[in-house]
Amino acid sequence: MSIGYRISASALALGLAASAAFAQTDDFWRQAGAQFEGVTLHGVTESTPPSNYIKDVLAPQFTELTGINVEIETTSWDQMYDKAIKDMEAGTGIYDMVYIEQDIIYSYLSRDFLVNISQALADKPELKAPNFDEANFTTFADYFRDEDGGLYGIPMEAFIKLYLYRTDLFADPEVQAAFKEQFGRDLAPAKTHEEYTQIAEFFTKLGQDRGEDLWGTTAQAHTGHPASWYEYVESVAPTFGVYNWGINAENNFAATVENGGSMNSPEAKEALRWWLHLRDIAPPESSASTWSETATTFAAGRVAQGLIYGENAAWIASDENQSRVVGNVGVALPPVAEGVMEAAESGEGYIGYYDGGAFGIPVSSQNQDAAVLFAQFIAQPEVQAQWAVAAPRITVSSTYDAPEVQELNTSLGGYFDLLRDQGKLFAGAPPFPFHAQLREAISPIFYQILTGDIEPDAGLDQMAAKTEEELTALGYRK
Amino acid sequence: MKRQKPWLSVLFWTLISFVTLFPIYWLFVISVKPTVDLFSTPEVILKSFYWQNYVDVLTDSTLRRYMMNSLIISTGNAFLVTTLGFLACYALSRFDLPGKESIFFWTITNRMAPPAVFLLPLFLLLTQVYRIGDFSLADTRIGMILVYCTFNLPFAIWTLRPTIDGIPKELDEAAFIDGASPWKIITEVIFPLARPGLAVTLILTWVFAWNEYLLAATLTNFNARTLTTGLSEYVTTTGTAWGVMAAISVITLIPALIVFSMVQRHIVAGLTFGAVKG
Amino acid sequence: MRSNKLGWMLLAPTLVILGLFGVVPFIYVLWVSFHQWNPFAANPEMIANGADNFRQLVFDTGFLSSLSVTLAFVFFAVTSELILGYALAQAFMKDFPGKAFFRTIHTLPLIMAPIIVGSIWKLMTTPSIGIIPDLLDSWFGYDLNIGQSAVAAFVTTVVMDIWHWTPLVTLSLIAALVALPADPFEQAQIDGASKRQIFWHITLPMIRPAIVATVFIRLMDALRVVDEVLMLTGGGPGSATRYIGVHIFREVFPRTNYGYGSAVSVVVLYITILVCWLLYVGLIAPRNNKA
Repeated sequence: MSIGYRISASALALGLAASAAFAQTDDFWRQAGAQFEGVTLHGVTESTPPSNYIKDVLAPQFTELTGINVEIETTSWDQMYDKAIKDMEAGTGIYDMVYIEQDIIYSYLSRDFLVNISQALADKPELKAPNFDEANFTTFADYFRDEDGGLYGIPMEAFIKLYLYRTDLFADPEVQAAFKEQFGRDLAPAKTHEEYTQIAEFFTKLGQDRGEDLWGTTAQAHTGHPASWYEYVESVAPTFGVYNWGINAENNFAATVENGGSMNSPEAKEALRWWLHLRDIAPPESSASTWSETATTFAAGRVAQGLIYGENAAWIASDENQSRVVGNVGVALPPVAEGVMEAAESGEGYIGYYDGGAFGIPVSSQNQDAAVLFAQFIAQPEVQAQWAVAAPRITVSSTYDAPEVQELNTSLGGYFDLLRDQGKLFAGAPPFPFHAQLREAISPIFYQILTGDIEPDAGLDQMAAKTEEELTALGYRK
Repeated sequence: MKRQKPWLSVLFWTLISFVTLFPIYWLFVISVKPTVDLFSTPEVILKSFYWQNYVDVLTDSTLRRYMMNSLIISTGNAFLVTTLGFLACYALSRFDLPGKESIFFWTITNRMAPPAVFLLPLFLLLTQVYRIGDFSLADTRIGMILVYCTFNLPFAIWTLRPTIDGIPKELDEAAFIDGASPWKIITEVIFPLARPGLAVTLILTWVFAWNEYLLAATLTNFNARTLTTGLSEYVTTTGTAWGVMAAISVITLIPALIVFSMVQRHIVAGLTFGAVKG
Repeated sequence: MRSNKLGWMLLAPTLVILGLFGVVPFIYVLWVSFHQWNPFAANPEMIANGADNFRQLVFDTGFLSSLSVTLAFVFFAVTSELILGYALAQAFMKDFPGKAFFRTIHTLPLIMAPIIVGSIWKLMTTPSIGIIPDLLDSWFGYDLNIGQSAVAAFVTTVVMDIWHWTPLVTLSLIAALVALPADPFEQAQIDGASKRQIFWHITLPMIRPAIVATVFIRLMDALRVVDEVLMLTGGGPGSATRYIGVHIFREVFPRTNYGYGSAVSVVVLYITILVCWLLYVGLIAPRNNKA
């Protein structure tokens, strides 16, 4: 069962047609698969379109060639982690493949839950597919490597969180004229926070004046879901120069300014106040919006601009069943403070969130060799283009040049170009093995800031202090 | 006491039904709208119908499997706990067992535990401890039927106890003196009189099993997955497929309604036994 | 006249199943609760830490505030459900056309999985686009925002729970009411007792065990509520609807705080047992002992 069911079903036909293209490797899969007669691989993943493509298209192809059965369990986000962790922690061996989101890889690596795929292939060269090469991957694969370069996950989806705006509104002469009259400059996607605020205020007021359901910005500001905290630490704070949640890993995981962290620095406080102001002029549903609802808000045509996760950008721009703004979506880089872009270009900082996931093989798996085959199967450059069309994500460099991907790129307003050319400016979650643990400890304070129970500045002070306390309790801060 | 006018009752229940049905009607509304229309000014009256969600759901074979699992697990569990609960209540009611009131109270404590932490021990027990050779209870229907007893069996015992206690002891004592075996007393004297209580217990335990999510989500993987775990697949980081979820729920109302109306008749049967005016 | 052996045999399957799937896991949880254990801490092993988790609990504002909102939720939800459920069960005692039909409709909410109930209510109450805020705004000019107002979110969860679970109370009480013998009521009417007197002196005492059993079930289920609330509010705004079930869920699922989460669960279980035991001793046990 899947939301991408229809997409996947039509992609199935395309995928099968394309399979003729890699006939030369077919022999390898047949021979390699022969020794695993009767084996069934079990995987667990979240039921997102890219995973459903694996389940509905790639897995059946793999089974046909190798004779190895594949069962993929798709489930919700919370459940997926809980089930994978219980299985790996207890060493039960239920799963031969688990989905690893970029932000949990460090937790899994710290516990040695996963098989080093590079090592496994070096040890058993007969398992290596002729068309598998780690160099095929985009740089996103680096998030799944250890210090020695060993690969622990096969990247299968990658996105950046983007600045989306409505091209129809931004190009409306009437709107342009009114904007120019008010601010003395042309209406264009914002480069700085001030510009963004002006545009947001302008459109919110325009909506009020016209009596339309139109606001100037999205805000992923749910008051009881970590999505709001993520938007702040991953997408807003970095654009003010506050990186890695404001935690200084080199300095004993300090978070408070006095100990050498920056979670409650003046920049962090400015970032929070800026975002809270946007929240106030965003549509009323923002207080109950997670990443999926901000996307829906944008797709419903209720906002003129906003920060939206890349996995949603695609359907907003192209799926008429889900979106009212098809053909009217422009993409741009998020607005940043002075100096941040330079820092991002030199690799010292970043301007937003690069997220995604990979398939890894648990050490507890009983069928590691067969799983290594499947991992290589989904990494083949030949299957990537169809996959990208069915579920817009790119993890292999050559995929960008495929004609069907180029075509899609145009309809997505140049999203893939941005991913390829500017992806380096974005970064995944910081390398913390305590990612979810710390998030759960401090996000309740963040929710109280959102409801107004705590002043923003005092709230950040509390969050920084709580961070150090929690990391001490977990044993990371000495 | 004067009998009230029946039309007043009908009017009253029509109003109550409106309140009850509105969220369910809204569920239907959600199921026949494309996602994009859910996030705009709401309309109470539907102007157009979008059936694609139903097409998706009905053509999905995985879903039929989940539905089958749900039906087997909840029906199996409901009959098991109602039977066991009935026997246990008979024992608690008619025998002078030492410490029986403590046992009675203890049974219900099994339902009180917050489920989240109990998932880990249950997971370990089902995958590693409760197994015979290669057969483990994890990811099996029988395993789920047994696990669901932890919350349904106490429920059955607690709802049936007042019913059994309320059946006059003189009846089974008379039967005993007539030489009836204990089995005969239970099936031919107690059972008919306990029918309304048994019917309600069967319905409600069926409902609890049918709706259970957390245990099923953790303890099943591929073979014994139920509808509720299937529903959660539609809540993802790239959005919740409200329409498909709603369509599934609307469709699953049908088997549930059939089970309900079959069992509900037995509640009425009790009316011949006693009548009440309040 | 009868051997207790038969009684124990009838009880045995129940005791075995509850022992294997109830008691054994409980012992495990109890054992874990005396440990510090987070598989993603610097030291992922279980470390025995005596009663530290329990000591920490007493000062944990997150836990205490969760406990107090939970108790408020349980109080409002269960009281309303009991009163409504009883009134509706009585209304079903009359004869009127279409009774079976109405009863089936009334029980429909029960068939809804909690995750679906949460979804429906979320879509109905999403600020500015749900049907309920829309109607409240146009009828009363009231702006319902469950993402911003703690009271609005709390009340919405209570109303949702009432909608979902009142039918359970109704059904249980119908079963109790139909089983009542007619004689005492006829006698009371002959004696000229008023409706109120009949209710307080005959009906209520006779269905008391059923009421208490029903209240128990609702009480403990409301104390454990998770799925609907997670779906509807996620526990927010702030921690306004972070009921204890949600709190524990967040402690042990995303936070993998197994040791502390187990301690919280043990304490919650203890509180639940205590409350129920007091109710039980006060209301049911004396009657059973007499009988």
